[in-house]
Amino acid sequence: MSFLDRIAEGWRKNRKPGYYENFDYHWTMTIDLDQCSGCGACVTACQAENNLPIVGEKAFAKGREVKWLRMEHYWEGEYPDVKLNIIPMLCQHCDNAPCETVCPVSATYHNQDGLNTQIYNRCIGTRSCAVYCPYEVRYFNYNDHTWDSPLDQQLNPDVSVREKGVMEKCTFCIQRVRQAKDTAKDDGRRRVRDGEVQPACVQTCPSQAMAFGDRNDPESNVSQTLAGPRAYRVLDELNTKSSVVYLKKVETEA
Amino acid sequence: MQGDPNPLKYTDIHNDVVASIVETGSNYYVALATALALTLICFFFPWFYQLYYGIGAAGMNHPGVWGTYLASFIFWIGLSHSGTLLSCVLHITNSSWRKAMYRSAEAMTLFSLVVAAMMVMVHVGRPWFIHWTLPYPNQMEMWPNFRSPLLFDVMAITTYITGSTVFIYMGSIPDFAAVRDRTRGWRNTMYSLLSLGWRGTDREWHRLHWAYTFLAVLIIPLAVSVHSIVSWDFAMSIVPALHQTIFAPYFVVGAIYSGTAGIVTVMFVLRKFMDFGEYITELHFDNLGKLLLVLSLLWSYINIVEIFTGFYSGASGETEALRYRLFGFYAPLYWEMITFCAVLPLLCAFKRFRTSFVPMLYLSIAINIGMYTERFLIVATSLSRQYLPDAWGLYVPSAVEISILVGTLALFTTLFLLFVKIFPSVSMYEVKETMDTPKKIPAAASGGSLA
Amino acid sequence: MTHFVVGLFGDPESALSAAGSIQSADLGTPELMSPVPIEGVEEVLGEKRSVIKRFSLFGAIFGGVSGFLLAAITAVLYAHPVGGRPIITFPPYLIITYELTILFGIIFTVIGFFVSARLPNGLWTSFWKQDENRPYVPEAAVDKFAVSIGCGVDDVQRAETILRAAGAEAIRDGTEGVS
Ligand code: SF4
Ligand code: SF4
Repeated sequence: MSFLDRIAEGWRKNRKPGYYENFDYHWTMTIDLDQCSGCGACVTACQAENNLPIVGEKAFAKGREVKWLRMEHYWEGEYPDVKLNIIPMLCQHCDNAPCETVCPVSATYHNQDGLNTQIYNRCIGTRSCAVYCPYEVRYFNYNDHTWDSPLDQQLNPDVSVREKGVMEKCTFCIQRVRQAKDTAKDDGRRRVRDGEVQPACVQTCPSQAMAFGDRNDPESNVSQTLAGPRAYRVLDELNTKSSVVYLKKVETEA
Repeated sequence: MQGDPNPLKYTDIHNDVVASIVETGSNYYVALATALALTLICFFFPWFYQLYYGIGAAGMNHPGVWGTYLASFIFWIGLSHSGTLLSCVLHITNSSWRKAMYRSAEAMTLFSLVVAAMMVMVHVGRPWFIHWTLPYPNQMEMWPNFRSPLLFDVMAITTYITGSTVFIYMGSIPDFAAVRDRTRGWRNTMYSLLSLGWRGTDREWHRLHWAYTFLAVLIIPLAVSVHSIVSWDFAMSIVPALHQTIFAPYFVVGAIYSGTAGIVTVMFVLRKFMDFGEYITELHFDNLGKLLLVLSLLWSYINIVEIFTGFYSGASGETEALRYRLFGFYAPLYWEMITFCAVLPLLCAFKRFRTSFVPMLYLSIAINIGMYTERFLIVATSLSRQYLPDAWGLYVPSAVEISILVGTLALFTTLFLLFVKIFPSVSMYEVKETMDTPKKIPAAASGGSLA
Repeated sequence: MTHFVVGLFGDPESALSAAGSIQSADLGTPELMSPVPIEGVEEVLGEKRSVIKRFSLFGAIFGGVSGFLLAAITAVLYAHPVGGRPIITFPPYLIITYELTILFGIIFTVIGFFVSARLPNGLWTSFWKQDENRPYVPEAAVDKFAVSIGCGVDDVQRAETILRAAGAEAIRDGTEGVS
């Protein structure tokens, strides 16, 4: 194909918004807030799986902890009549991600799985994506991190260790997604089966509040849940079209 | 100058300006050495430490990922706005009072831009890869993202630096030529190179006039676009209190405002220390004072509109951001800014104030402090109050940041001090133009007229 | 070989009238050198046109087209889905177009200036041979107005007479150049 043809075809294909709906997979996570007990196992699992740095007391006090998945706590009412609402907050892998448009070097973009990816090698650290993200789930490496022995022995070889000056965030455990796709290919299957990929947080959740799957497949577990009446997205009014769907807590009148 | 009983002659200007370049007092060297030392100690040393340690050397944290570095960047870009822009507008409208001051104003533009570009380097996490923002073919098969407001910035600032360099250089060619003939040694070589063999022929003057006018016409819309684009770094986000349509005009007005104040400061210094009292007069301060008054009113108006729209929207994010800015942790800074930028400049309504040099100096410095605060508040207050209350936070600058802030001032001063010894800091030929042309002298012995 | 006669004048009016008489005496078009642009040159020596505006226009159009193509074509070649936006998005690319329009407009204006003002010339550096066809008098950069005319050796006397008649303060042969 000649150069001009390539351009013409690219032009035709990419002119319209919504091309992402044709992606191979559209990974989605559902989090059932009714089942979530706020134990924080997912936070730890994510830390272990993705080589998150342990920043130490000083940096923590400065507000520089790195937690791709964090527990947000909201208190309601006055003491003693208080209620605690918990919501796990991670990158929502927005289809209309504001963080992607602002990156000058395309270090963060949408891949063919509908995931919002972060390329650490490409990042120059302008930190504008963190400003543009309304969910505040992007974390910056303010300095190089070290792991005290024996923690340095447990680093996940599938995940890179980030250097100072780059941005990072939840990847939907892209290394696991990759692996599942490879296995499927080796087995001669065209697609990954539902439930075959489980990110670390989903796998760990003791109350099985979290689920992960492909939204493109109408039969999948998440597609079914998505249609339910309790499903909602955080900050939906901003039109980010996020891929993490929360299931509303069922209020029982006391 | 015109009505003066003892009018300046062309040669006087020539001698004054050449003297300002060639004759260097010991005070100058002291000032240069101080500025250079401050630049090294306050700017480069902390910066190198930060390069080694990471951005963590600054005070930024999780919600407040942007800090004083970005505020300084906007501030310096803003300060750059009055030099070349004002000079272009005044050139096109043929205002003769521009002529004595515009060279130093344009130099201010250029050096502010240099400092602003340095601030970008200081700001980003991995400045050693900053060239990735430029579209150049590479083996990585990677390309910058032309949809990013930050890349608009890269484009706009590159163009702006090119444009203002060319503009100040082109306007100086005749003056370089004039200085060339009066210098010896390395200076002569330098000015010969810089003046490109300018002879002042009618053809050259004609071409210079047109080229200069075209450049001015091109640079005015450029300067307006540059600060609009800087504002879009913020306004294109969906952060409450940043996502506003008024931001582009707000930034442009703010930029011209602080730039004009900066010119007043520089004028004062030049007048005081470079003996340019005859060329920079009360007239300049009077006109600049009027400009400051108009700009401060415009600026206040935009601020009121901003508050009103935020309040009227009733959206919880907007109102919270607004409440926080007006009454939250950073509120003292906010009210300081209002005092310095909206209340104090009203003094410019009085002619006596406008034509007194020292009060104008204080006012101009106060305005720029206020404008710096404005930029800081835009960054700090908006980022600490975003949508999810769990991620609210507080950002306080660290010692490294404050040192670098002082260091940028020293860097700017150093560049400016070097400038006054290289460029004729008052445009000779344009000052000459504003004066009466020499009159025909009755035939004298020297010339010898033929009967 | 052309000889140059340069007359120095203390004021622009006499320089202009000298230039006028030189021209009407059929000695060719004289060149004026002055510390400031002289008003009314065009009435005496005829109107001047420059090619600078063509350069600016060409530069601006070139910059605009290349700016848009730079953004749009490379975006197709490096298709990065970003923020659910189309790969070829007009609003941001128009900004790139705008900036590059101005950038190339500026660059080409400068080139146009150099070309049409014939700069840099032989006076540029001492490394270059002094250009004999470009007489120069340093006083003309300070407060004198010079009229220079290149003519054959027979006409030198006539040119000098005309210049003196117009009130020249001094006559040079214009070969001394820069110190
Ligand atoms: S949640 Fe934030 S970081 Fe994740 S895709 Fe959306 S905007 Fe980007
Ligand atoms: S999906 Fe993976 S990376 Fe994302 S929060 Fe869960 S464990 Fe962390």
